[in-house]
Amino acid sequence: MLRSKVKGEAAVRRRLRTCHYNMAMDRRAFLFGLPAFGLLASCGGSSKIRLALNWKPDPQFGGFYAAPFKERKLDVEILPGGAGTPTVQMIGAGSAEFGVVSADELVVARSRGNDVVALFAVFQDTPQGLMVHAERKLAAIEEVFEEGTVALQRGLPYARLLEKQFGFDHVKIVPSPGGDITAFLNDPLFAQQCFIMSEPLQARHAGAKVTVFPVADVGYNPYTTVLAANRKYVRENPGPVEQFVGAVREGWRAYVANAKPTNDKMHDLNPSMDPATFAEVAQEQVPFIQNDETDAAGLGSMKRERWEKLIGQLHGLGDIPEAISPDDCFKVV
Amino acid sequence: MRGILPPLIPAILVITAMELAVRQGFIPAYLVPAPSAVLAAMVESRAELGQAFLKTSAGALLGFALSAFGGIAIAVLLSSSRSIQRALYPYAVFFQTVPIIAIAPLLVIWFGYGMKTVVVSAFVVSIFPVIANTLTGILSTDPNLRDLFQLYGASQWVTLLKLRFPAALPQILTGLRVASGLAVIGAIVGEFIGGEGLGSVVDVARTQQRVDKVFAAVLLASALGLALFGLINLISAVTLRRWHASEQG
Repeated sequence: MLRSKVKGEAAVRRRLRTCHYNMAMDRRAFLFGLPAFGLLASCGGSSKIRLALNWKPDPQFGGFYAAPFKERKLDVEILPGGAGTPTVQMIGAGSAEFGVVSADELVVARSRGNDVVALFAVFQDTPQGLMVHAERKLAAIEEVFEEGTVALQRGLPYARLLEKQFGFDHVKIVPSPGGDITAFLNDPLFAQQCFIMSEPLQARHAGAKVTVFPVADVGYNPYTTVLAANRKYVRENPGPVEQFVGAVREGWRAYVANAKPTNDKMHDLNPSMDPATFAEVAQEQVPFIQNDETDAAGLGSMKRERWEKLIGQLHGLGDIPEAISPDDCFKVV
Repeated sequence: MRGILPPLIPAILVITAMELAVRQGFIPAYLVPAPSAVLAAMVESRAELGQAFLKTSAGALLGFALSAFGGIAIAVLLSSSRSIQRALYPYAVFFQTVPIIAIAPLLVIWFGYGMKTVVVSAFVVSIFPVIANTLTGILSTDPNLRDLFQLYGASQWVTLLKLRFPAALPQILTGLRVASGLAVIGAIVGEFIGGEGLGSVVDVARTQQRVDKVFAAVLLASALGLALFGLINLISAVTLRRWHASEQG
């Protein structure tokens, strides 16, 4: 099983878990009174530093697992997540100090009053894409919307951007089955959203010939796998935050140079992904992590104009009611 | 008025407390929405929510109807002989234990995207309580009455129709009450995977961090469950009023 935004069964299991979690929250709220929510939201002060991931240990998080936290005297606990784990709300509520989010998620959260800030962008280009059967001989992304079925997470901003640009009148839009490619393999006219280095690899292993159209090609390119934190936490703990981000940068440098030791460690935590796939994905994702810009400015660096463009796009799509300041979205550590 | 007041008081208290807690900043609005925001989301997205509500209602109702008729038929079959019961009942229990959340993605592959998957999902989760309750009801007919029917030479069919089935009605209705709520849950789970309806609205709103809209859709789903529950209660009142203690006094 490879990584993706949403994964069939796992996604549903995660939803069930969230559901139980919410129910437990409700019960507590009634037992202790509603102010407990407020306390829950404002506390965050254990000495252990929690990093919430939005998926299971896989190459997308390699640098976090490779980071030398111990050497920097940081007591870090990495919390693996499921598809769509609400990491951005978790760091807002203080149930984790750091979380992995995507840039568009962060902008939307900020506009809703969740004061979170990006610290390190792992993927400089979004690895989101649409995968189709190569036999269709499609030449451009707009042709994906001429016939057949497209599996897309409609809530994602780029899904609506695609709808705005190409229209969904000639295709049937269905929910994304996540990393599950069964429907894709069974239907030659099935297209599905994917992580470029994930599902296509899986489909090729299953014998399919695939063509992938990166979403970045239509001009929507948010930073992805972004390390973020609550601004209040960042303000109150400048030392640990600096140490943490430094360790993460070092970790990614080490992982890009040699993924093997960390892959072995992650494979122990996530045995459903085989070692060969770990190695393959780790290699395929390097161009998304390292480019001319990061060679100059360092891994994880972010640019104001990228945030500004993203905010404009999200405003245009109606995801945020009004434009927010790009300077508040990220912090150079 | 005296009938409506007791359930209204906790609702008013909770809604007021939530509204105040969010407005005063005790709870951030991105975690729990103010009731006024939920109401605003309902008004703002009324067309979308209305359509989704109808879709979910259709899926849940169809699944529930299949469960009701199928469940009663299976229970009657099981009650016809001890050996049939022993042979088949364990498989009926399968429906009780099947983790719908885990097989829902398979339903899409078997039945395709859309309504069919939603109906099957609602059916699978809601049939067992109907089977179990109907069976218990049919098997617990008063032995004296059974003897009386036998004494007058009534056939098995007549005994079932005129005695066992009517006597089992209170239990059957209990089964249907439990099934009505489950059918709504099943439909929503089916919609998460199969698309459409309130399930799809919840999924999209959650991705967009619109907790207010998530709550609005969840409230509508609860309303649907309540409506189904009310319908069964109405049937119960009409059919049991004259002879069963549960609907008298």
